[in-house]
Amino acid sequence: MECQHVSYQYPRQTRGLSDLTGVFPPEQVTTIIGPNGAGKSTLLQLLARRLPAQAGQVVLNEQPLNQLSTRQLAQQVAMVTQHHQLYDELTVREVVATGRLPYHGLLQAVPANEVTPYLDMAGLTSLADELIQDLSGGQQQRAWLAAALAQEPVVLLLDEPTTYLDVHYQQQLMTQLRQLAAKGLTVIQVLHDINQAFRVSDWLWLLQDGQLVASGTPDDLRDAKLLGRTFATPIEIVTVPHLGPYIVQLPD
Amino acid sequence: MTKHAGWWYGGVLALLVLTSLIALMAGTEWLGLSQVTWAVSHPASRAFVTIFSLRLPRILSSLICGGSLAVAGALFQAVFRNPIADPSILGISSAADFFKLGGALLLPWLPGRNWLMALVGGLIALTILTSGRALTDPYRLIIVGVALDATFVGLQQLLSSGAAAVSHSTFNGLTWSDTATLLGLGVVGLVAALILAPWANYLKLTDSALKNVGVPVNVLRWTLLLLGMYLAVSVTAVVGTIPFVGIVIPNVARRLVGHDYQTVLPFSMLAGAWLMLAADTLGRTVIVPSEISAATMMAVIGGPFVIILLQRGRGFHGMSTR
Repeated sequence: MECQHVSYQYPRQTRGLSDLTGVFPPEQVTTIIGPNGAGKSTLLQLLARRLPAQAGQVVLNEQPLNQLSTRQLAQQVAMVTQHHQLYDELTVREVVATGRLPYHGLLQAVPANEVTPYLDMAGLTSLADELIQDLSGGQQQRAWLAAALAQEPVVLLLDEPTTYLDVHYQQQLMTQLRQLAAKGLTVIQVLHDINQAFRVSDWLWLLQDGQLVASGTPDDLRDAKLLGRTFATPIEIVTVPHLGPYIVQLPD
Repeated sequence: MTKHAGWWYGGVLALLVLTSLIALMAGTEWLGLSQVTWAVSHPASRAFVTIFSLRLPRILSSLICGGSLAVAGALFQAVFRNPIADPSILGISSAADFFKLGGALLLPWLPGRNWLMALVGGLIALTILTSGRALTDPYRLIIVGVALDATFVGLQQLLSSGAAAVSHSTFNGLTWSDTATLLGLGVVGLVAALILAPWANYLKLTDSALKNVGVPVNVLRWTLLLLGMYLAVSVTAVVGTIPFVGIVIPNVARRLVGHDYQTVLPFSMLAGAWLMLAADTLGRTVIVPSEISAATMMAVIGGPFVIILLQRGRGFHGMSTR
């Protein structure tokens, strides 16, 4: 997936993205980082075609995103968000089944055997007939992720997937994302925790004020000056035993 | 589907059969079971005329109207993602009533006038309801709906002060031809609703979640909305406005058989049919030889129910439409 001169301006606001060009390497985990208001979530919306690029284009496998039908898009790009997604009760099985909708007619039922593998993979088989509202935050997250994976996408987008998870689940999720990338999925996520981003990613996009400041491997971007300038705060990189480099924000 | 759903289905079916039988027997003149069976083979008797020309069309009409209104309510609730949305409370039915009356005054020559005019009224009310910001907030939706309802009721009164043909929303005096119209319109709509039930389930997800999986949200939303409107105005066209069936029944249905619209819709259809028949039968027997209209009966039963639902239930906690 790549961006070619992509711009997007919110109406009546200065916020937006201007002239972004860069790639998201296939079959790797890319994390978009940057200060609040840098346009991270906006970029993710554009990659999911939830917002239209006003200039330039997002390209997936050499095909512009806006040339795909809604259904074709749903077969290639899946997204997991943190926003509440339900108005009424649905069971875990029904939630995961929604991921199969891009492959069926609107009046066709989703066959059970297309859902079970994803329930198994998420470890939710025993909870399949529970209401998703009754599950813990971590379990709910797993169910929505399972639904996204049921779309069999080429690209998986995640908007701050660790927000409501405790440290244990965060770790588990990041391990799972790495495994998925190893199996051929392109993972693109927005994370707030810079250290987590540097630790789990193969590739990073650093955004500031709607512009791409830098992109590269974590080693390329682990630069105290660059990060300090982008986040407008003094930053030092220290080495923690058994952990490696760690980015620390210094008091002003 | 809950564990006891099967029992509830059995229960409502048994009630339907029982109430239909009672409705056949009860009236200004009570006919026992033996008289009813005797009448069937004596088409020239007075009892036969009472049963087949007066009671049977009325029973069938109230069954189909109750089923249609309950399903219309359930569809509106699914689309507006609001458990008290319903064509009667949102002004759809009173708009249909107003246009029906207007049609009677201005276009008396138009064939199928009542239904066509009611449909136009329903469409106009629906357009007003969905064009502004009412969809962004469940409270705003209900308040706009109630205001719309009051407006059309007022307009109707304004118009009817000079007219003789005012609708009374009653099943009294319905002919076989009215019944046939109701059955024809209702069955088509109800079958469509049962087929489209999975769409109502999809709308439990947010628009953005649906777009993520490539579902054309607006096609689903408008199909179900127009279907619900069609069912409600078809009742209004023939009988008039009957409030609250569409709120009471689907909410009870969710309690009893769960939140899956593939069970909520058929159950609502059966339970709505029963409630309407029971209300009408009660209304025409309690103060014989006079009677209370079905709309009045439903207002008396349904009003308190909605109050209890909102004061004690979960209400529309956490719901908004966009």
